Amino acid sequence: MTLPALERRVVVCVGCGGVGKTTVAAAIALEAARAGRRALVITIDPARRLADALGVETLGNQPEPMPRGALAELGVPPEGSLSALMLDMKRTFDDLVARFAESPTARDRVLRNPIYRHVSDALAGSVEYSAMEKVYELSLSDAYDTLVVDTPPAQHALDFLDAPERLLEFLDSRLVHLLIHPAMAAGRLGFRWFEWGTRRALALIERISGIGFLEDVSEFLMAFEHMSEGFRERAREVRKLLLGPQAAFVLVASPESESVRSAQHFLARLEESSVRVRGIIANRVRVWPDVGAPPALDSADPAPLARALEQEEGANFPAERAARAAIDAAARYAALVRRDALALDGLREHAERRGSFFRVVPEQRGDVHDLSGLLQVAASLAQVPESPERVERGESMAAAQSRSSAQRRIRRG
Amino acid sequence: MNDPRSPLAHRRLVIVTGKGGTGKTTVSAALALGAAARGKRVLVAAVDPDARLAALLAPRPAPLTYQPALARPNVWACHIEPFEALGEYLGIQLGTRRLVDPILRQRGFRQLLLASPGWRELITLGKVWHFEQMQDRGHPRFDLIVVDAPATGHSLTFLDVPRVVVSAVRAGPLRHHTERVEALIEDRRRTLLLPVAIAEELPARETVELVARARRELGVAIERVVVNAVHEPPYPDDLADLDQRLAALPADAALGGLPPPRVLSACGSAIRARAELNRHHARAIAQETGLPTVTLPYLRDGLRGPDDAAQLAAPLFAGLEAAA
Repeated sequence: MTLPALERRVVVCVGCGGVGKTTVAAAIALEAARAGRRALVITIDPARRLADALGVETLGNQPEPMPRGALAELGVPPEGSLSALMLDMKRTFDDLVARFAESPTARDRVLRNPIYRHVSDALAGSVEYSAMEKVYELSLSDAYDTLVVDTPPAQHALDFLDAPERLLEFLDSRLVHLLIHPAMAAGRLGFRWFEWGTRRALALIERISGIGFLEDVSEFLMAFEHMSEGFRERAREVRKLLLGPQAAFVLVASPESESVRSAQHFLARLEESSVRVRGIIANRVRVWPDVGAPPALDSADPAPLARALEQEEGANFPAERAARAAIDAAARYAALVRRDALALDGLREHAERRGSFFRVVPEQRGDVHDLSGLLQVAASLAQVPESPERVERGESMAAAQSRSSAQRRIRRG
Repeated sequence: MNDPRSPLAHRRLVIVTGKGGTGKTTVSAALALGAAARGKRVLVAAVDPDARLAALLAPRPAPLTYQPALARPNVWACHIEPFEALGEYLGIQLGTRRLVDPILRQRGFRQLLLASPGWRELITLGKVWHFEQMQDRGHPRFDLIVVDAPATGHSLTFLDVPRVVVSAVRAGPLRHHTERVEALIEDRRRTLLLPVAIAEELPARETVELVARARRELGVAIERVVVNAVHEPPYPDDLADLDQRLAALPADAALGGLPPPRVLSACGSAIRARAELNRHHARAIAQETGLPTVTLPYLRDGLRGPDDAAQLAAPLFAGLEAAA
């Protein structure tokens, strides 16, 4: 397999916003499809980025298969396929409630409860969790070989891992029991400071807020209590899937300093949660368009280039100024290339130390919003061996080349 | 800033908003440094604890604290930590913190709060309101408050909470207090929402959506969009197509120690592609929002400290103060 993570059933892409995570997730799925897998990419980003990257207008809560013809153009063999799903997270959570509710009445009581409406929106990570829940559900079906998951762009992007536990811990807490069975707690002799304090706190909230929101809370919790066993079991299964041998976490980062910093933060947090990162993908990296490292150009002599330009363009061309401008631009780009390489050093070393893979996706010339653009990204992920033609020309910027050939193929199709 | 036409002229509160990675914190810092250099007393309030903000305000930064701390002359910085703000608020409401603090420390109660929606946003904005009200000898303590809004999701949700609370809570002190917060946000003379964008396809579209939603759903004033990290073209205007001319040179041209023409050309093309992409999307933002944009240059090494932030203050203020 070209990308080691693809041997797993579920590939979870994590990373901060603005690094092209969605594009990379889609490219990984494309790469899986190209390897003959039935791949599904699941995005939970409300910005519909994946829809853009895949060149389709809308995605529903259901998998949307890419047209066969377009896939064939991208080198996807007949046994492979690529589908995309844009998750309606709210609906997924509602589905979850519906599944575990003991009766339609109980279901409606929860769904209509104002606290539920807020909690499902706002309980940090619950929405992200519901995405993982969908992943779990899809993993049970036999329709796909590889599920690639794009996670939301937030500094809290690991919430989806912690959310079920936090929710369960919350449901388990004495506070919840107190809210569900207030009479019982109050009737007990010598109830503890904890309970007294909590009741004081809740009374305080009511006094200041002026709303009887406790009623809503306890109604919600009572309704939820009945479904908590199913929910708990399910959350355990989801966690097992994500932390088990079937799943691979891939960290996506860009060389911008903020992204590298947050990538390192992510790695630390993932390791704390005993998640092993299978690989790191550095996206949007500026690479030198030639073999080897960029040369020092600061004290380069512009005279030979000026002569060559003058010969080509004629005596009226401001050859000397142009030569300087050309060298300045090359020096500027060389500095960017060196800067990116330096910025990524730490992540590269981390990958080496942990024995995980490290891939570099060169910055693309424009926005990646169609399948041919996606193919270039996929090609860098797979590190397709240099073609003889490219080696001959000393071309290491695989991007430019594979883009044009992909476009040629698409035009032909 | 003292020009009455400037979006900053009478503003007491600027809420800097944008997706993660757009440079919200950078713009917040540059805004604070620039305003301080113009003689204003500025408070920068971070909603997320970001070590970078402190590092952009002072050469030897101290970590952000809940209480505003002087970072440099005329610039204070703080982190509005919601639990602390809640404790402070409840303490003020009850006239004592002795009862409040033990309750807030309780695990069960914290869990309930962690699961409860909206209060963080509300208490944070309440604290901003509180800062805006603070007086020293009859004058506002801070001339300008810059809020580095949360990066998660749309910051609009953050600003929308007071409206939701006011519509849900019928009476009582909470409603009364929330109304005041809402009034501050919607006061177009006092408050400005300043979106920060990156001029690339998706961030640009998100910014356009954000502005449209803010106009539709919030009464807050928006007058400029900051477009950050814009790449300059590689060559002077009269040599704009130099990369193509370089590519036309013979592949084996003797250029001394220089890289071959193909490579020189590719370097220029790569920068040109970025610059053109940025220009295109910056224009799209301006056109689709109908707002003037303020362009800040891409800085290769990012912002390393207050000197870099102060440097960005010049183009930022020039753009903000230019007539619309």
